[in-house]
Amino acid sequence: MDPGFIAQYLLNGIVLGVIYAMVAVGFTLFFGVLDVIKFSHGDVVMAGAFTALATYAGLELLGVSDGMFAAIVITVMGIAAMAILGALLAKLLILPLRNAPPLNTLLITLMFGLALREAVRLFYPNGSNPKPFPQLLPDAAMTIGNLELRLDSVLLIVLGLGAIVAVHLLIQRTRIGLAIRAVAQDPETARLMGINFERVVLMTFALGSALAALAGITNGLYYSEVNFGMGLLLGVIGFSAAVVGGLGSLYGAIIGGFLFAALQTIGAVWFSVPAYKDVFAFACIIVLMAWKPTGLLADKSAERV
Amino acid sequence: MSGPELVVDGLTVRFGGLTALDALQFRLSAGEFVGLIGPNGSGKTTFFNALTGIYAPASGQVALSGKDITGLPPQQIYDAGITRTFQRLRLASSLSVFDNLMIGNHRNLSHGIIANLFARQRLKNEIEENVAKSRLLLEQFSAPLASRLFDPVSQLTMIDRRRVEVCRALISEPKILLLDEPSAGMTHEETRALMDDLLASRERMPGLAIVLIEHEMGVIERVTDRCVVLNYGEKIAEGSYREVASNSDVRTAYLGED
Amino acid sequence: MKSNRRGYWPVIVTALAAAMFVFLFLYLEQQWEIVLLAVGLIAVLFSSARFGLLRRVELAASDHPRTTIMVNVLAALLVIVLLRNEHFALLMLATVCLYVTICLGLTLQFGYAGIVNFAGIAFFGIGAYTAAVLSLHSALPHLLVIVISGLVAGLIGSLLILPMLRTRGHYAALVTIAFGILFRTFLEVNDLLGGPQGLKVPGMQVFGWSLNDNISLGPLGAVSFYASYAVVALLLAAGAYALIKRLERSWLGLNLDAVRTDETAAASFGIDLPRWKIFAFTAGNCLAGVAGGVYAMMSGFIAPASFNFGDSLLLVSIVLLGGSGNPLGVLPAALLVVVLPEKLQVIQEYRLLLFAVLVILILRFRPEGLLPRRMREYFAGWGR
Repeated sequence: MDPGFIAQYLLNGIVLGVIYAMVAVGFTLFFGVLDVIKFSHGDVVMAGAFTALATYAGLELLGVSDGMFAAIVITVMGIAAMAILGALLAKLLILPLRNAPPLNTLLITLMFGLALREAVRLFYPNGSNPKPFPQLLPDAAMTIGNLELRLDSVLLIVLGLGAIVAVHLLIQRTRIGLAIRAVAQDPETARLMGINFERVVLMTFALGSALAALAGITNGLYYSEVNFGMGLLLGVIGFSAAVVGGLGSLYGAIIGGFLFAALQTIGAVWFSVPAYKDVFAFACIIVLMAWKPTGLLADKSAERV
Repeated sequence: MSGPELVVDGLTVRFGGLTALDALQFRLSAGEFVGLIGPNGSGKTTFFNALTGIYAPASGQVALSGKDITGLPPQQIYDAGITRTFQRLRLASSLSVFDNLMIGNHRNLSHGIIANLFARQRLKNEIEENVAKSRLLLEQFSAPLASRLFDPVSQLTMIDRRRVEVCRALISEPKILLLDEPSAGMTHEETRALMDDLLASRERMPGLAIVLIEHEMGVIERVTDRCVVLNYGEKIAEGSYREVASNSDVRTAYLGED
Repeated sequence: MKSNRRGYWPVIVTALAAAMFVFLFLYLEQQWEIVLLAVGLIAVLFSSARFGLLRRVELAASDHPRTTIMVNVLAALLVIVLLRNEHFALLMLATVCLYVTICLGLTLQFGYAGIVNFAGIAFFGIGAYTAAVLSLHSALPHLLVIVISGLVAGLIGSLLILPMLRTRGHYAALVTIAFGILFRTFLEVNDLLGGPQGLKVPGMQVFGWSLNDNISLGPLGAVSFYASYAVVALLLAAGAYALIKRLERSWLGLNLDAVRTDETAAASFGIDLPRWKIFAFTAGNCLAGVAGGVYAMMSGFIAPASFNFGDSLLLVSIVLLGGSGNPLGVLPAALLVVVLPEKLQVIQEYRLLLFAVLVILILRFRPEGLLPRRMREYFAGWGR
């Protein structure tokens, strides 16, 4: 196969991997502090993209024409709105169900995701159709053989990786990160040490949801299109990535994200019908779960008897 | 019956680099009542978990009535005749007292699909026999509890739940009963009552051997024939309560004296 | 144990009232009437639960399990007779019965054994596609085709058994979610199974009689062919109900409950976890597959769009709404979830949103569902 062609697949795979990793990091953060799966996460990704889209419509009305400026404003708006939504969700739906069976939390968030999806479909103007996402990044490109290296792809990769590194540093190097890690380790002890448990949980949910919004906007900028249903698959993929990596592990989520993108890329190259790539990737996930039931990197904590 | 019922030889359990149980030697004869004591984290519960197949031992042998049972899964250990209670109660609290007892009586019930779905009259007889059996067993512990056979466990008091857990472990008439700190969460009086009932019901089950993990030394002194003391996964003393209590290693382990 | 049985008249009265309700619910078309009925049903369920009426009916029903099923089947047949020439109403009734069947399978898996299955609709779909392929390409008798549909669903489900047994909780949930999405995508891209356009399926033939023929029953006049399918679906649901109820009232039901409530404790008392998980998972998938087989022949046409992940969520919602682990709760829940959006054009568009909100409210404020599960009663007159 032509090397330029392969490089094109590789580049596409890396962008996907960055997006998936950003979604997966959210799953792993929530699981870390609260041992819950927030299944509406994929729809938060979608809602983040739509918030940005709505902001852009507002900017257009105001007559803002500078692409970079608009990109920054819509990203900030999307991130801020989703951070607030994430914290509200934790406060109103997830924390009250703390002592219920874990499946109830999974279901209530699944349903919240469905509600979010339906709300966008029904109430966003013409929301049931795919919406074009504005191209705000510089559209310079370099052609090497068959490879078209677009500047915006490179920018998106740098931005996404930067965000992941920033979250990593936030968790490893700051006081709030220390609090998050303490709560993840042992909520009871953390509480005794004077850490405000609820605040930490809300901040973690805000952080994860902000990252989701960024993933949604990246997705929109990369594909130039968003639709109300995009969150479902992105959420399932992010969840798969986090689980395969090992819930609660930040590195696991990142590895899982890139692994899923790799599987899809391999599937797309391998099968003549590209749509089989998801069938292939999900089948691999099921096999991986049979092989490593608690993920690649999770520390298996023995249940106390 | 001749020779010990349970022979544990060099049983070792490791978690990563930590040796939770170190080459334990342990003998138990039919009808014996042995106390297992030691500070927190000394490996008592680990010993139970290794015996009942929840943890796989790193090395060592366990034999029950001369048959090797080392490393068998929990299901087969139960079938061989070892049952247990748990430190933190593990009852199905949404189910009735009867249902919980019947979970403990698993090996004496029919589990075929045909027998359960299509031979209803036979099944009904089996169920009625077991209702009678459950009543009889519960009455040895508490008559009011026996009358609540069909109530959910979630409506019972702590001591009644402990009783149900002990009865769940007894109803299959095991050879060996392992009790993991049954006094946790109960008052002295309640513990005393439970132990008295246990001693009384043992009279009706000749040959039943019991191992009791307990922190209350008064209880150990009153009910056990012999004590084994663990510290850091090793057996540091063995003998009657009196002997063990005066052992200097034991005093060091418990009180930190030199 | 003395058998101190109660009379069965509460069962008969309830069955007749339920039949009248179902008939009106399916027959009436004014929007306000439908809303009134739906609100009425929920109000009646709640208030009769509060004032102990429901308990009396349940006790009477559990004292007379066979009579209860017979009376209810007869009542449902009465509804079918009353609706004899209403195509749409009968189709909905049949669909409710099929959904009840799948949800009884999910009750077995989730309500009893605690196995989460977010691919319920996929196993229904496997049954439907199996029936379609077999009835298009073979001359097997259709009743056999339907049985095979169930078996194939169970068999394909066994592909998931290894990952299901090795994983727990959220990890196990991922396995079925991944499978549900994989299955839907597979249907979409597979040309042999008709791709996105799906397959046409011939109608059901039983002993040389075609269920797709309209029939004329003497004094009753013309009868829609959907009436025949409604009867088939009804018998299927009733059979599944009787089976699940029997299972619950036996040691098997107890074993499944033990597996759900505490795996460590269950294993410590000899309960073979893999055996009972495989049993519940496979039996549940078979039920969904059989329902799928009937569905394919009844609707005459199947396509991937009928087997979305969202539909699997709808099934799980029915089980939760009814009261997890209570087969009886599945009936009103399936009726509401399936029929309400079809009848209420006003909310048709908003139905998924409304369900999502409804389930959120239930999980938040009444997690035990409309009809919470009762203690197991092994046989009539239990505990009295």
